[in-house]
Amino acid sequence: MRPIIKVENLSKQFRIQPANRPAVRYDTLRESLVEALRSPLRRVRGNGQAADDTIWALKNVSFEVMPGEVMGVIGPNGAGKSTLLSLLSRIIEPTAGRAELFGRVASLLEVGTGFHPDLSGRENIYLNGAVLGMRRREIDGRFDEIVAFAEVEKFIDTAVKRYSSGMYVRLAFAVAAHLNPEILLVDEVLAVGDASFQRKCLGKIDEVTRSGRTVLLVTHNLGVIPQLCERAILLSHGQVASCGLAQEVLDCYISMNSTSPADL
Amino acid sequence: MVSIGSSYGSAELPDKPVVVIERAKSWVGLNLRDLWSYRELLYFLMWRDVKVRYKQTLLGASWAIIQPLVTMIVFTYFFGKLARVPTDGVPYTVFFYTGLLVWTYFSNALINGANSLVGNANLITKVYFPRLIIPSAAVLSGLLDFAIASLLLVGLLIYYGFPVTVQYLMLLPLVALATALALGFGIWLSALNVRYRDVRYALSFLVQIWMFVSPIIYPSSVVPQEWRWLMVLNPMTGIVEGFRASLFGKPIQWTALGYSTMFTVMILLYSAYAFRRMERHFAELI
Repeated sequence: MRPIIKVENLSKQFRIQPANRPAVRYDTLRESLVEALRSPLRRVRGNGQAADDTIWALKNVSFEVMPGEVMGVIGPNGAGKSTLLSLLSRIIEPTAGRAELFGRVASLLEVGTGFHPDLSGRENIYLNGAVLGMRRREIDGRFDEIVAFAEVEKFIDTAVKRYSSGMYVRLAFAVAAHLNPEILLVDEVLAVGDASFQRKCLGKIDEVTRSGRTVLLVTHNLGVIPQLCERAILLSHGQVASCGLAQEVLDCYISMNSTSPADL
Repeated sequence: MVSIGSSYGSAELPDKPVVVIERAKSWVGLNLRDLWSYRELLYFLMWRDVKVRYKQTLLGASWAIIQPLVTMIVFTYFFGKLARVPTDGVPYTVFFYTGLLVWTYFSNALINGANSLVGNANLITKVYFPRLIIPSAAVLSGLLDFAIASLLLVGLLIYYGFPVTVQYLMLLPLVALATALALGFGIWLSALNVRYRDVRYALSFLVQIWMFVSPIIYPSSVVPQEWRWLMVLNPMTGIVEGFRASLFGKPIQWTALGYSTMFTVMILLYSAYAFRRMERHFAELI
Protein backbone atom coordinates (compact mmCIF):
# COMPACT_ATOMS: atom_id res chain seq x y z
CA MET A 1 0.00 0.00 0.00
CA ARG A 2 1.27 3.46 -0.88
CA PRO A 3 1.13 6.38 1.55
CA ILE A 4 -1.41 9.15 0.95
CA ILE A 5 0.73 11.71 2.77
CA LYS A 6 4.47 11.62 2.22
CA VAL A 7 6.63 14.11 4.08
CA GLU A 8 10.36 14.24 3.41
CA ASN A 9 12.81 16.39 5.38
CA LEU A 10 10.27 19.17 5.70
CA SER A 11 11.88 22.21 7.34
CA LYS A 12 10.71 25.70 8.16
CA GLN A 13 12.87 28.56 9.27
CA PHE A 14 11.28 31.67 10.77
CA ARG A 15 12.84 35.07 11.06
CA ILE A 16 12.49 36.49 14.53
CA GLN A 17 13.02 40.04 15.70
CA PRO A 18 16.56 40.47 17.04
CA ALA A 19 16.72 41.91 20.53
CA ASN A 20 18.28 45.23 19.51
CA ARG A 21 15.31 46.23 17.38
CA PRO A 22 11.80 47.08 18.54
CA ALA A 23 9.41 44.17 18.21
CA VAL A 24 6.98 45.67 15.72
CA ARG A 25 4.61 43.34 13.95
CA TYR A 26 4.82 44.97 10.56
CA ASP A 27 7.40 47.30 9.20
CA THR A 28 6.77 50.62 7.57
CA LEU A 29 8.42 51.85 4.41
CA ARG A 30 10.58 54.25 6.43
CA GLU A 31 11.94 51.48 8.62
CA SER A 32 12.84 49.31 5.70
CA LEU A 33 14.60 52.22 3.99
CA VAL A 34 16.58 52.85 7.18
CA GLU A 35 17.27 49.14 7.36
CA ALA A 36 18.46 49.04 3.77
CA LEU A 37 20.93 51.80 4.51
CA ARG A 38 22.09 50.16 7.70
CA SER A 39 22.45 46.59 6.54
CA PRO A 40 25.57 47.03 4.36
CA LEU A 41 27.25 48.54 7.40
CA ARG A 42 26.23 45.56 9.44
CA ARG A 43 27.58 43.22 6.83
CA VAL A 44 30.90 45.06 6.96
CA ARG A 45 30.98 44.75 10.71
CA GLY A 46 30.24 41.09 10.19
CA ASN A 47 29.36 40.13 13.74
CA GLY A 48 27.41 37.13 12.51
CA GLN A 49 24.05 38.42 13.63
CA ALA A 50 22.18 36.49 10.96
CA ALA A 51 22.32 33.33 13.02
CA ASP A 52 20.39 34.88 15.91
CA ASP A 53 17.72 36.27 13.61
CA THR A 54 16.23 32.94 12.65
CA ILE A 55 14.77 29.88 14.29
CA TRP A 56 14.03 26.45 12.86
CA ALA A 57 10.41 25.79 13.76
CA LEU A 58 10.62 22.47 11.94
CA LYS A 59 13.76 20.64 10.95
CA ASN A 60 14.00 17.61 8.67
CA VAL A 61 10.64 16.15 9.55
CA SER A 62 9.81 12.98 7.62
CA PHE A 63 6.89 10.60 7.98
CA GLU A 64 4.22 8.82 5.98
CA VAL A 65 0.51 8.37 6.53
CA MET A 66 -1.40 5.51 4.92
CA PRO A 67 -4.87 5.97 3.39
CA GLY A 68 -7.63 5.73 5.97
CA GLU A 69 -5.26 6.18 8.85
CA VAL A 70 -5.79 8.63 11.72
CA MET A 71 -2.47 10.06 12.81
CA GLY A 72 -2.13 12.07 15.99
CA VAL A 73 0.48 14.80 16.32
CA ILE A 74 1.53 15.60 19.89
CA GLY A 75 4.29 17.51 21.58
CA PRO A 76 4.96 20.38 23.97
CA ASN A 77 4.16 24.00 23.09
CA GLY A 78 6.48 25.34 20.42
CA ALA A 79 7.39 21.88 19.14
CA GLY A 80 6.26 22.78 15.62
CA LYS A 81 2.86 21.06 15.50
CA SER A 82 0.95 24.04 14.18
CA THR A 83 3.78 24.89 11.79
CA LEU A 84 3.53 21.38 10.38
CA LEU A 85 -0.20 21.76 9.77
CA SER A 86 0.23 25.24 8.27
CA LEU A 87 2.82 23.84 5.87
CA LEU A 88 0.65 20.90 4.83
CA SER A 89 -2.31 23.28 4.45
CA ARG A 90 -0.22 25.42 2.06
CA ILE A 91 -0.66 28.51 4.20
CA ILE A 92 3.07 28.96 4.60
CA GLU A 93 5.90 27.75 2.42
CA PRO A 94 8.64 25.35 3.58
CA THR A 95 12.24 26.53 3.68
CA ALA A 96 13.42 23.10 2.56
CA GLY A 97 12.08 19.61 2.02
CA ARG A 98 9.00 18.33 0.32
CA ALA A 99 5.58 16.91 1.02
CA GLU A 100 3.25 15.09 -1.34
CA LEU A 101 -0.45 14.68 -0.75
CA PHE A 102 -2.34 12.16 -2.89
CA GLY A 103 -5.86 13.43 -2.34
CA ARG A 104 -8.12 16.42 -1.85
CA VAL A 105 -7.16 18.25 1.33
CA ALA A 106 -9.25 20.27 3.73
CA SER A 107 -7.67 21.93 6.71
CA LEU A 108 -9.41 22.93 9.85
CA LEU A 109 -7.05 25.14 11.80
CA GLU A 110 -9.81 26.91 13.69
CA VAL A 111 -13.59 26.74 13.77
CA GLY A 112 -15.51 29.43 11.94
CA THR A 113 -12.83 30.73 9.59
CA GLY A 114 -14.43 33.43 7.47
CA PHE A 115 -17.57 33.75 9.58
CA HIS A 116 -18.93 37.26 9.31
CA PRO A 117 -20.78 38.55 12.39
CA ASP A 118 -23.26 40.61 10.37
CA LEU A 119 -24.38 37.73 8.19
CA SER A 120 -27.07 35.24 9.17
CA GLY A 121 -26.43 31.62 10.10
CA ARG A 122 -27.67 30.55 6.68
CA GLU A 123 -25.36 32.97 4.86
CA ASN A 124 -22.39 31.99 7.01
CA ILE A 125 -22.87 28.29 6.27
CA TYR A 126 -22.47 29.05 2.56
CA LEU A 127 -19.59 31.46 3.06
CA ASN A 128 -17.69 29.22 5.47
CA GLY A 129 -18.36 26.16 3.32
CA ALA A 130 -16.96 27.94 0.26
CA VAL A 131 -13.91 29.10 2.23
CA LEU A 132 -13.25 25.52 3.32
CA GLY A 133 -13.42 24.34 -0.29
CA MET A 134 -16.98 23.01 -0.61
CA ARG A 135 -18.93 23.48 -3.81
CA ARG A 136 -22.19 25.33 -3.63
CA ARG A 137 -24.08 22.19 -4.64
CA GLU A 138 -22.39 20.18 -1.88
CA ILE A 139 -23.48 22.79 0.66
CA ASP A 140 -27.04 22.77 -0.71
CA GLY A 141 -27.13 19.01 -0.25
CA ARG A 142 -25.87 19.04 3.32
CA PHE A 143 -27.51 22.24 4.49
CA ASP A 144 -30.30 20.66 6.56
CA GLU A 145 -27.90 18.16 8.08
CA ILE A 146 -25.53 20.96 9.14
CA VAL A 147 -28.32 23.01 10.70
CA ALA A 148 -29.69 20.00 12.55
CA PHE A 149 -26.25 19.02 13.82
CA ALA A 150 -25.63 22.56 15.13
CA GLU A 151 -29.10 22.68 16.73
CA VAL A 152 -29.74 26.24 15.53
CA GLU A 153 -32.86 25.69 13.38
CA LYS A 154 -34.80 28.54 14.99
CA PHE A 155 -32.03 31.10 14.55
CA ILE A 156 -30.83 30.22 11.08
CA ASP A 157 -31.84 33.62 9.67
CA THR A 158 -30.49 35.62 12.61
CA ALA A 159 -27.14 37.43 12.34
CA VAL A 160 -24.50 35.28 14.04
CA LYS A 161 -23.36 38.22 16.18
CA ARG A 162 -26.63 37.72 18.09
CA TYR A 163 -25.79 34.06 18.72
CA SER A 164 -24.56 32.84 22.09
CA SER A 165 -20.93 31.78 21.92
CA GLY A 166 -22.05 28.16 22.25
CA MET A 167 -24.39 28.43 19.26
CA TYR A 168 -21.66 30.13 17.27
CA VAL A 169 -19.06 27.39 17.74
CA ARG A 170 -21.67 24.66 17.24
CA LEU A 171 -22.59 26.11 13.85
CA ALA A 172 -18.94 26.58 12.91
CA PHE A 173 -18.07 23.03 13.90
CA ALA A 174 -21.11 21.66 12.09
CA VAL A 175 -19.99 23.16 8.76
CA ALA A 176 -16.48 21.79 9.19
CA ALA A 177 -17.74 18.36 10.23
CA HIS A 178 -19.63 18.02 6.97
CA LEU A 179 -16.61 18.55 4.77
CA ASN A 180 -15.84 15.63 2.54
CA PRO A 181 -12.16 15.61 1.60
CA GLU A 182 -9.86 12.61 1.31
CA ILE A 183 -7.38 14.16 3.73
CA LEU A 184 -8.41 16.20 6.74
CA LEU A 185 -5.91 18.29 8.70
CA VAL A 186 -7.29 19.24 12.11
CA ASP A 187 -5.81 21.51 14.77
CA GLU A 188 -7.26 21.54 18.29
CA VAL A 189 -10.84 22.12 17.27
CA LEU A 190 -12.40 19.00 18.69
CA ALA A 191 -13.61 20.27 22.00
CA VAL A 192 -16.12 23.03 21.47
CA GLY A 193 -19.41 23.75 23.18
CA ASP A 194 -20.74 22.13 26.35
CA ALA A 195 -20.08 18.57 27.54
CA SER A 196 -22.92 16.99 25.56
CA PHE A 197 -21.95 18.78 22.35
CA GLN A 198 -18.31 17.78 22.86
CA ARG A 199 -19.40 14.15 22.98
CA LYS A 200 -21.31 14.72 19.77
CA CYS A 201 -18.21 16.28 18.16
CA LEU A 202 -15.99 13.38 19.16
CA GLY A 203 -18.62 10.99 17.83
CA LYS A 204 -18.61 12.87 14.53
CA ILE A 205 -14.81 12.79 14.30
CA ASP A 206 -14.93 9.06 15.00
CA GLU A 207 -17.53 8.63 12.25
CA VAL A 208 -15.38 10.66 9.83
CA THR A 209 -12.38 8.48 10.52
CA ARG A 210 -14.38 5.28 10.11
CA SER A 211 -15.58 6.41 6.69
CA GLY A 212 -12.04 5.82 5.41
CA ARG A 213 -10.74 9.35 5.36
CA THR A 214 -7.18 10.13 6.31
CA VAL A 215 -6.88 12.47 9.27
CA LEU A 216 -3.89 14.29 10.72
CA LEU A 217 -4.89 15.49 14.14
CA VAL A 218 -2.97 17.93 16.33
CA THR A 219 -4.15 17.93 19.91
CA HIS A 220 -3.22 18.71 23.49
CA ASN A 221 -6.05 16.55 24.71
CA LEU A 222 -4.00 13.40 25.19
CA GLY A 223 -7.08 11.45 26.24
CA VAL A 224 -8.46 11.32 22.73
CA ILE A 225 -5.22 10.09 21.16
CA PRO A 226 -5.53 6.35 21.89
CA GLN A 227 -9.29 6.67 21.41
CA LEU A 228 -9.16 8.11 17.86
CA CYS A 229 -5.70 7.45 16.45
CA GLU A 230 -3.87 4.26 15.49
CA ARG A 231 -0.55 5.98 15.14
CA ALA A 232 1.01 9.17 16.40
CA ILE A 233 4.03 11.42 15.98
CA LEU A 234 5.75 13.14 18.84
CA LEU A 235 7.37 16.43 17.88
CA SER A 236 9.94 18.11 20.07
CA HIS A 237 11.98 21.21 19.18
CA GLY A 238 10.88 20.94 15.57
CA GLN A 239 12.01 17.35 15.12
CA VAL A 240 10.33 13.97 15.20
CA ALA A 241 11.12 12.53 18.64
CA SER A 242 9.01 9.42 18.21
CA CYS A 243 6.71 7.94 15.62
CA GLY A 244 4.71 4.74 15.87
CA LEU A 245 1.69 3.18 17.57
CA ALA A 246 -0.36 5.81 19.38
CA GLN A 247 -0.03 4.30 22.86
CA GLU A 248 3.76 3.87 22.59
CA VAL A 249 4.27 7.45 21.40
CA LEU A 250 2.00 8.68 24.16
CA ASP A 251 4.02 6.75 26.77
CA CYS A 252 7.18 8.24 25.31
CA TYR A 253 5.71 11.75 25.63
CA ILE A 254 4.62 11.14 29.20
CA SER A 255 8.02 9.82 30.23
CA MET A 256 9.65 12.78 28.50
CA ASN A 257 7.49 15.11 30.56
CA SER A 258 8.25 13.37 33.83
CA THR A 259 12.00 13.69 33.29
CA SER A 260 11.83 17.35 32.33
CA PRO A 261 8.81 18.89 34.02
CA ALA A 262 9.78 22.31 32.63
CA ASP A 263 8.55 21.22 29.19
CA LEU A 264 5.03 20.76 30.42
CA MET B 1 -8.81 -0.60 10.47
CA VAL B 2 -7.30 -3.11 8.05
CA SER B 3 -10.68 -3.70 6.45
CA ILE B 4 -11.11 0.01 5.80
CA GLY B 5 -7.58 0.28 4.54
CA SER B 6 -8.22 -2.37 1.93
CA SER B 7 -11.42 -0.73 0.71
CA TYR B 8 -9.48 2.49 0.40
CA GLY B 9 -6.28 0.91 -0.83
CA SER B 10 -3.48 2.30 -2.94
CA ALA B 11 -5.32 1.23 -6.09
CA GLU B 12 -7.53 4.29 -5.67
CA LEU B 13 -4.68 6.70 -5.08
CA PRO B 14 -3.68 8.83 -8.04
CA ASP B 15 -0.21 8.17 -9.48
CA LYS B 16 0.78 11.81 -9.24
CA PRO B 17 0.32 13.77 -6.02
CA VAL B 18 -2.68 16.11 -5.97
CA VAL B 19 -0.69 18.62 -3.96
CA VAL B 20 3.08 19.04 -3.82
CA ILE B 21 4.47 21.24 -1.09
CA GLU B 22 7.95 22.63 -1.56
CA ARG B 23 9.76 25.91 -1.73
CA ALA B 24 8.50 27.80 -4.80
CA LYS B 25 10.84 28.52 -7.66
CA SER B 26 11.76 32.12 -8.32
CA TRP B 27 9.39 32.36 -11.27
CA VAL B 28 5.84 31.36 -10.46
CA GLY B 29 3.18 31.29 -13.14
CA LEU B 30 -0.29 32.70 -12.73
CA ASN B 31 -1.77 29.25 -12.15
CA LEU B 32 -5.04 30.07 -13.86
CA ARG B 33 -6.32 26.53 -13.40
CA ASP B 34 -6.11 26.90 -9.62
CA LEU B 35 -7.92 30.25 -9.85
CA TRP B 36 -10.63 28.74 -12.02
CA SER B 37 -11.24 25.89 -9.59
CA TYR B 38 -11.87 28.46 -6.86
CA ARG B 39 -14.26 30.61 -8.91
CA GLU B 40 -17.14 29.86 -6.53
CA LEU B 41 -15.16 31.36 -3.67
CA LEU B 42 -14.70 34.54 -5.74
CA TYR B 43 -18.45 34.67 -6.13
CA PHE B 44 -19.09 34.09 -2.42
CA LEU B 45 -16.58 36.74 -1.33
CA MET B 46 -18.11 39.29 -3.72
CA TRP B 47 -21.53 38.37 -2.45
CA ARG B 48 -20.32 38.78 1.16
CA ASP B 49 -18.83 42.22 0.44
CA VAL B 50 -22.06 43.37 -1.19
CA LYS B 51 -24.27 41.94 1.58
CA VAL B 52 -22.20 43.36 4.40
CA ARG B 53 -21.74 46.82 2.89
CA TYR B 54 -25.19 48.15 3.70
CA LYS B 55 -26.16 45.85 6.59
CA GLN B 56 -27.61 47.75 9.51
CA THR B 57 -27.88 50.99 7.52
CA LEU B 58 -31.12 52.95 7.31
CA LEU B 59 -30.77 53.94 3.67
CA GLY B 60 -29.22 50.73 2.39
CA ALA B 61 -28.13 50.61 -1.23
CA SER B 62 -29.32 54.18 -1.90
CA TRP B 63 -25.96 55.23 -0.44
CA ALA B 64 -24.54 54.19 -3.80
CA ILE B 65 -26.49 57.09 -5.37
CA ILE B 66 -26.25 59.58 -2.49
CA GLN B 67 -22.45 59.75 -2.54
CA PRO B 68 -22.03 60.90 -6.19
CA LEU B 69 -25.32 62.82 -6.17
CA VAL B 70 -24.41 65.11 -3.27
CA THR B 71 -20.92 65.69 -4.66
CA MET B 72 -22.48 66.49 -8.03
CA ILE B 73 -24.77 69.11 -6.43
CA VAL B 74 -21.85 70.72 -4.61
CA PHE B 75 -19.71 70.73 -7.77
CA THR B 76 -22.56 72.10 -9.91
CA TYR B 77 -22.92 75.03 -7.54
CA PHE B 78 -19.25 75.87 -6.91
CA PHE B 79 -17.49 74.85 -10.11
CA GLY B 80 -20.47 75.39 -12.38
CA LYS B 81 -22.56 78.34 -11.21
CA LEU B 82 -19.77 80.23 -9.37
CA ALA B 83 -16.51 79.34 -11.14
CA ARG B 84 -18.18 78.78 -14.53
CA VAL B 85 -15.93 75.91 -15.59
CA PRO B 86 -16.54 75.24 -19.30
CA THR B 87 -18.18 71.87 -20.00
CA ASP B 88 -18.15 71.73 -23.82
CA GLY B 89 -21.81 72.74 -23.87
CA VAL B 90 -23.03 69.89 -21.69
CA PRO B 91 -25.35 70.78 -18.74
CA TYR B 92 -23.36 70.96 -15.50
CA THR B 93 -25.34 68.30 -13.65
CA VAL B 94 -24.88 65.62 -16.33
CA PHE B 95 -21.28 66.62 -16.92
CA PHE B 96 -20.25 66.36 -13.27
CA TYR B 97 -22.38 63.32 -12.51
CA THR B 98 -20.84 61.33 -15.37
CA GLY B 99 -17.32 62.13 -14.19
CA LEU B 100 -18.16 61.44 -10.55
CA LEU B 101 -19.93 58.20 -11.35
CA VAL B 102 -16.86 56.81 -13.07
CA TRP B 103 -14.47 58.25 -10.51
CA THR B 104 -16.44 57.06 -7.47
CA TYR B 105 -16.56 53.54 -8.89
CA PHE B 106 -12.88 53.52 -9.79
CA SER B 107 -11.58 55.03 -6.55
CA ASN B 108 -13.77 52.89 -4.27
CA ALA B 109 -12.79 49.75 -6.17
CA LEU B 110 -9.13 50.73 -5.93
CA ILE B 111 -9.24 51.53 -2.21
CA ASN B 112 -11.29 48.45 -1.33
CA GLY B 113 -8.94 46.30 -3.37
CA ALA B 114 -5.84 47.76 -1.72
CA ASN B 115 -7.19 47.18 1.79
CA SER B 116 -8.68 43.78 1.06
CA LEU B 117 -5.83 41.46 2.06
CA VAL B 118 -5.22 43.18 5.38
CA GLY B 119 -8.95 43.13 6.05
CA ASN B 120 -9.08 39.38 5.42
CA ALA B 121 -6.03 38.43 7.50
CA ASN B 122 -8.10 35.82 9.36
CA LEU B 123 -8.66 33.91 6.11
CA ILE B 124 -5.08 34.16 4.95
CA THR B 125 -3.60 32.68 8.12
CA LYS B 126 -6.08 29.81 8.32
CA VAL B 127 -6.97 28.46 4.88
CA TYR B 128 -5.36 27.99 1.52
CA PHE B 129 -6.86 29.37 -1.67
CA PRO B 130 -5.38 31.49 -4.47
CA ARG B 131 -4.90 34.83 -2.72
CA LEU B 132 -5.64 36.76 -5.92
CA ILE B 133 -9.29 36.03 -5.23
CA ILE B 134 -9.42 38.43 -2.30
CA PRO B 135 -8.49 41.70 -4.06
CA SER B 136 -10.41 40.61 -7.17
CA ALA B 137 -13.60 40.11 -5.17
CA ALA B 138 -13.13 43.45 -3.42
CA VAL B 139 -12.72 45.31 -6.72
CA LEU B 140 -15.53 43.52 -8.57
CA SER B 141 -18.05 43.94 -5.77
CA GLY B 142 -18.08 47.67 -6.59
CA LEU B 143 -19.88 46.92 -9.86
CA LEU B 144 -23.24 46.68 -8.14
CA ASP B 145 -22.91 50.15 -6.60
CA PHE B 146 -21.88 51.43 -10.01
CA ALA B 147 -24.96 49.89 -11.62
CA ILE B 148 -27.25 51.42 -8.99
CA ALA B 149 -25.67 54.86 -9.31
CA SER B 150 -25.96 54.62 -13.12
CA LEU B 151 -29.76 54.63 -12.81
CA LEU B 152 -29.64 58.32 -11.88
CA LEU B 153 -27.46 59.04 -14.89
CA VAL B 154 -30.02 57.39 -17.14
CA GLY B 155 -32.66 59.67 -15.61
CA LEU B 156 -30.53 62.77 -16.20
CA LEU B 157 -29.81 61.80 -19.82
CA ILE B 158 -33.51 61.34 -20.52
CA TYR B 159 -34.39 64.60 -18.77
CA TYR B 160 -31.92 66.59 -20.87
CA GLY B 161 -32.99 64.76 -24.02
CA PHE B 162 -29.66 63.20 -25.02
CA PRO B 163 -30.25 60.83 -27.95
CA VAL B 164 -29.17 57.18 -27.78
CA THR B 165 -26.35 56.73 -30.29
CA VAL B 166 -24.31 53.83 -31.61
CA GLN B 167 -21.47 55.14 -29.39
CA TYR B 168 -23.33 53.66 -26.38
CA LEU B 169 -21.75 50.37 -27.47
CA MET B 170 -18.47 51.76 -26.12
CA LEU B 171 -19.81 51.98 -22.56
CA LEU B 172 -19.39 48.31 -21.73
CA PRO B 173 -15.73 48.09 -22.84
CA LEU B 174 -15.10 51.34 -20.94
CA VAL B 175 -16.52 49.92 -17.71
CA ALA B 176 -14.38 46.82 -18.24
CA LEU B 177 -11.33 49.02 -18.77
CA ALA B 178 -11.96 51.05 -15.59
CA THR B 179 -12.45 47.78 -13.69
CA ALA B 180 -9.25 46.29 -15.08
CA LEU B 181 -7.30 49.42 -14.16
CA ALA B 182 -8.65 49.36 -10.60
CA LEU B 183 -7.83 45.65 -10.47
CA GLY B 184 -4.31 46.27 -11.74
CA PHE B 185 -3.50 48.85 -9.09
CA GLY B 186 -5.63 47.15 -6.43
CA ILE B 187 -3.86 43.78 -6.70
CA TRP B 188 -0.42 45.33 -6.48
CA LEU B 189 -1.27 47.73 -3.64
CA SER B 190 -3.03 45.04 -1.62
CA ALA B 191 0.15 42.94 -1.64
CA LEU B 192 2.29 45.94 -0.78
CA ASN B 193 -0.11 46.81 2.04
CA VAL B 194 0.58 43.47 3.71
CA ARG B 195 4.20 44.47 4.20
CA TYR B 196 3.92 48.25 4.42
CA ARG B 197 0.84 49.63 6.14
CA ASP B 198 1.80 53.05 4.78
CA VAL B 199 -0.24 52.13 1.70
CA ARG B 200 -3.52 52.66 3.52
CA TYR B 201 -2.63 56.20 4.58
CA ALA B 202 -0.88 57.24 1.40
CA LEU B 203 -3.65 55.95 -0.83
CA SER B 204 -6.53 57.99 0.57
CA PHE B 205 -4.87 61.28 -0.21
CA LEU B 206 -3.18 60.10 -3.41
CA VAL B 207 -6.60 59.18 -4.75
CA GLN B 208 -7.78 62.71 -3.98
CA ILE B 209 -4.87 64.24 -5.87
CA TRP B 210 -5.47 61.78 -8.70
CA MET B 211 -9.04 63.04 -8.99
CA PHE B 212 -7.89 66.63 -9.43
CA VAL B 213 -5.47 65.71 -12.22
CA SER B 214 -8.20 63.69 -13.97
CA PRO B 215 -10.89 65.45 -16.02
CA ILE B 216 -13.65 65.03 -13.44
CA ILE B 217 -14.36 68.65 -12.46
CA TYR B 218 -13.29 70.03 -15.84
CA PRO B 219 -13.04 68.71 -19.41
CA SER B 220 -9.53 68.02 -20.71
CA SER B 221 -10.26 70.65 -23.40
CA VAL B 222 -9.54 73.42 -20.86
CA VAL B 223 -5.93 72.26 -20.70
CA PRO B 224 -3.76 74.14 -23.28
CA GLN B 225 -2.95 72.06 -26.35
CA GLU B 226 0.81 71.86 -25.61
CA TRP B 227 0.12 70.31 -22.17
CA ARG B 228 -2.60 67.92 -23.33
CA TRP B 229 -0.12 65.01 -23.66
CA LEU B 230 0.76 65.32 -19.98
CA MET B 231 -2.91 65.04 -19.07
CA VAL B 232 -3.26 61.95 -21.24
CA LEU B 233 -0.39 60.19 -19.44
CA ASN B 234 -2.92 59.66 -16.66
CA PRO B 235 -4.76 56.49 -17.78
CA MET B 236 -8.01 57.76 -16.23
CA THR B 237 -8.12 60.69 -18.66
CA GLY B 238 -8.83 58.48 -21.67
CA ILE B 239 -11.41 56.47 -19.73
CA VAL B 240 -13.39 59.41 -18.28
CA GLU B 241 -13.29 61.35 -21.56
CA GLY B 242 -14.30 58.15 -23.35
CA PHE B 243 -17.39 57.87 -21.14
CA ARG B 244 -18.39 61.49 -21.77
CA ALA B 245 -17.80 61.28 -25.52
CA SER B 246 -19.86 58.08 -25.79
CA LEU B 247 -22.76 59.48 -23.78
CA PHE B 248 -22.85 63.00 -25.23
CA GLY B 249 -22.30 61.94 -28.85
CA LYS B 250 -18.87 63.61 -29.17
CA PRO B 251 -15.90 62.16 -31.09
CA ILE B 252 -13.94 59.61 -29.06
CA GLN B 253 -10.22 60.35 -28.60
CA TRP B 254 -8.88 57.01 -29.73
CA THR B 255 -5.23 57.81 -29.05
CA ALA B 256 -5.89 58.58 -25.40
CA LEU B 257 -8.12 55.54 -25.05
CA GLY B 258 -5.57 53.31 -26.77
CA TYR B 259 -2.90 54.52 -24.35
CA SER B 260 -5.19 53.83 -21.36
CA THR B 261 -5.78 50.32 -22.64
CA MET B 262 -2.06 49.66 -23.10
CA PHE B 263 -1.31 51.06 -19.66
CA THR B 264 -4.03 48.90 -18.08
CA VAL B 265 -2.75 45.71 -19.70
CA MET B 266 0.81 46.46 -18.57
CA ILE B 267 -0.12 47.27 -14.97
CA LEU B 268 -2.36 44.22 -14.78
CA LEU B 269 0.43 41.91 -15.97
CA TYR B 270 3.01 43.49 -13.69
CA SER B 271 0.68 43.40 -10.67
CA ALA B 272 -0.24 39.77 -11.17
CA TYR B 273 3.46 38.90 -11.38
CA ALA B 274 4.40 41.01 -8.34
CA PHE B 275 1.46 39.62 -6.37
CA ARG B 276 2.42 36.01 -7.06
CA ARG B 277 5.95 36.73 -5.90
CA MET B 278 4.86 38.33 -2.63
CA GLU B 279 1.93 35.98 -2.02
CA ARG B 280 3.90 33.19 -0.39
CA HIS B 281 4.97 35.36 2.52
CA PHE B 282 1.53 36.84 3.25
CA ALA B 283 0.62 34.48 6.08
CA GLU B 284 3.89 35.23 7.89
CA LEU B 285 3.80 39.01 7.40
CA ILE B 286 0.17 39.90 7.85
